[in-house]
Amino acid sequence: MAHKETLQTHQPGLSRRAFMKTVAVGGGILVLGQGWDVFSVARAQEGGAEYTMILVDYSKCTGCRTCETACSSYNHPQEVGGERMPGLGNPYLSNIKLYPYNPDADVAAVCAMCPDNPCIEACPVEPDPATGYRALYRHPETGAVTSDPERCIGCESCADVCRVGVITPNPENSRPERMCTLCDGDPQCVAMCPFGALTHVTVDTSRDLYALKPDQVAEQLIGQWYGGVE
Amino acid sequence: MTSFPGYTGTILNIDLSSGRIEKTPLSPEDAANFIGGRGLGMKILWDHLKDKPGADPLGPDNPLLFMPGPFSGFPAPSSSRTCVVTKSPHTAPSESPYEHASTVSYANMGGFFGPELRFAGYDGLVVTGQAESPVYLYIDDDTVEIRDASEYWGMGTDEFDKAFLEELGDQRFRTCYIGPAGENLVEYACIINTAARAAGRGGTGCVMGAKKLKGVAVRGTGQPGVADPQIFVAALEEARESFDNPEVYDLWRNAGTTFGLEHFSNQGRQAVRNFREGTFTEAHKLGVEASMKHWVRSFACYCCPLACKKSGMVTQSPFSGLIHDGPEYETGTMLGANLMISDLPGVMKAIYQGDDYGLDIISVGNVIGFLMEAYEKQLIDQEFLDGIDLTWGNVEATLEMIRKIALREGVGDLASKGVKELADEIGQGSHAFAMHVKGHELAAHNCHANPPRAMCYATAHRGACHLNGDDVAGQNFIALADSLGVCLFAVFGNQQYGPLLGKLLAGIMGEPAGNMGEVGERVYNLERLFNTREGFTRADDTIPERFFTEPLTVGEHAGAVLTREQFQTMMDEFYAERDWDPETTRPNAAKLEALGLVGEEYRV
Repeated sequence: MAHKETLQTHQPGLSRRAFMKTVAVGGGILVLGQGWDVFSVARAQEGGAEYTMILVDYSKCTGCRTCETACSSYNHPQEVGGERMPGLGNPYLSNIKLYPYNPDADVAAVCAMCPDNPCIEACPVEPDPATGYRALYRHPETGAVTSDPERCIGCESCADVCRVGVITPNPENSRPERMCTLCDGDPQCVAMCPFGALTHVTVDTSRDLYALKPDQVAEQLIGQWYGGVE
Repeated sequence: MTSFPGYTGTILNIDLSSGRIEKTPLSPEDAANFIGGRGLGMKILWDHLKDKPGADPLGPDNPLLFMPGPFSGFPAPSSSRTCVVTKSPHTAPSESPYEHASTVSYANMGGFFGPELRFAGYDGLVVTGQAESPVYLYIDDDTVEIRDASEYWGMGTDEFDKAFLEELGDQRFRTCYIGPAGENLVEYACIINTAARAAGRGGTGCVMGAKKLKGVAVRGTGQPGVADPQIFVAALEEARESFDNPEVYDLWRNAGTTFGLEHFSNQGRQAVRNFREGTFTEAHKLGVEASMKHWVRSFACYCCPLACKKSGMVTQSPFSGLIHDGPEYETGTMLGANLMISDLPGVMKAIYQGDDYGLDIISVGNVIGFLMEAYEKQLIDQEFLDGIDLTWGNVEATLEMIRKIALREGVGDLASKGVKELADEIGQGSHAFAMHVKGHELAAHNCHANPPRAMCYATAHRGACHLNGDDVAGQNFIALADSLGVCLFAVFGNQQYGPLLGKLLAGIMGEPAGNMGEVGERVYNLERLFNTREGFTRADDTIPERFFTEPLTVGEHAGAVLTREQFQTMMDEFYAERDWDPETTRPNAAKLEALGLVGEEYRV
């Protein structure tokens, strides 16, 4: 796709600078492979506190929902003749969700990767003494909010406090779902968006419209675009 | 219900008279022979009305079908269209034994409704009967309910779009609905979704109104399986790559169909001044450059990389603050050039009003254009028009006419029946410029300078239709595309996409996709069989007199006119190529046999 862009192209300078730093620190991190380096370096830069996320450019988004199908295909693969291949892209299973509004505005909602971890803080499960993880934790490599199905008690506390409203309890077992996985370092929604509306960036909580619910984002967009006319 | 590759295997049937909700199996044979969308809809319509020729389109027997295609709900680019199929309330043959004789009607809409129907588990929704009071349909996977919609009756589509989603409590429900025009049984009322997209033509909204069905809401969590995921995924990748080309998408993203407003005017093919002319000297005032000044954003249908629709806001004029999409080619021509209106905010207001009332803007532009011409020629006076000074280019008068039509108030009552009935009433030779075929008005394309379009209009099965195809091969292909649910803009805009459709379908439905090549022709012939049974003959396959008698006078194509000989020759060749009887236009036995349209099931 013409708009397939990598993290590096959006953060000119970061990789090189971070690369040097990483090498200086010990050099071993880069061999984690398959894109792990970018997460590690981003956090290494700020003493382990930085995460990456999917950023939506609402002015470029057309609401086509290709992102939903790309997310679903990657994160819910199918097995055919013992071989793993992309799923058929059922958007219900997608971690990024498109909400349409009238007057015309489309809001793609996805995990904001909140650095202060409200969802994890809300988890009442005692940290595992070995790992220090509750039933919800940041993936050590990607930083993605991850559920431990073995330990989750299905209390839905994480969903209750999710700022964007992304975390959705499974209808059967109430375990949290729909947290962005960042697709092992190459987010497929970013890669497949025909309009270049999505980018993979470092979390910056001071960005406009950061970590708001779709209704709140829509209200602001409609205000900006249509002068608040209802 | 047993699903089979590419299909949920279930048709959802709702009878509004009895309140019965029934899920019936879709036969794999019908899926193989008619695929989906317009084709499968035609087959189901045929099955419902097999023993009821001349059924009243506004009666309980006439089914209203919402038909996605087999691509619906898969991420195949630009293939989410939902075809609404029913028996037309807006067409009639010149002679027939049946009082309510009419053609088949089909109109497809973009958006997200069809895919969602498939996510909920249905290959089609068939609504029959008539509710006693206004209702809407609530479909949430297996949960299907008929709910009260009394409080929404009378509400415009823009307001209802918001109110409906608020009642449903989840922005991710997909909805479609009618406005006051459909409720009031305006013959050319349409069905709207997302307050902007329409199953516009052929009175689908009128049939919905007769059923007292205000809207349909659907939400689903599933997805059908496919026959061969490897073939499908490979074909999908190829298809996506074929669209990843600025030569394919630039025009649609930057201009949408608005580009046609100047393009077709320059070619002498636009509908101008009630089709009297083909070139609008003020086309530039509504063209891309003028329109894009108020466009805010592009928006797309499900998995479409083209995003041809433009949402805009009027900022400077009495209509300042108006938010709506457009103008597109059809809406901008029928409420612009065809009425000699070049005031862009005025055209936008008229488009908004037409959509909000739920009117087919193509037919409404014809009706007003016809009345403007009759008024100019003094065949009718201001009193006939309830005091409206309906002169060419008059925005206020146009807005008032639209309102009267939607509410069937005064002159609007007669006008709500279309140009044919207006000409029947007005007489005085006005039939010569009543721009319809079989009662259905022409779209925004003139044919003085485009003879194949005359054949296209004359032979189309829902009455005049610019999307019928200008030759036999084109007609069969379009019938196939409409059955797949693929957008015509995408297949015509991306030359590489057409050849990939077979591969995608093979991945989705497997072996039966091998017979895809004959599906379009089968659908087209079954439609013709339906129409001939209602009494339509060659006498109905004609075009308005104007094209033969009044050459264009404006623009580079001044002088262009059709001759009757040319038209008749074209039609003779058409019936011969179709293997149809040249007088009754009924498909010949050998043709029906070859297409498998034989046996008790198809006996007329």
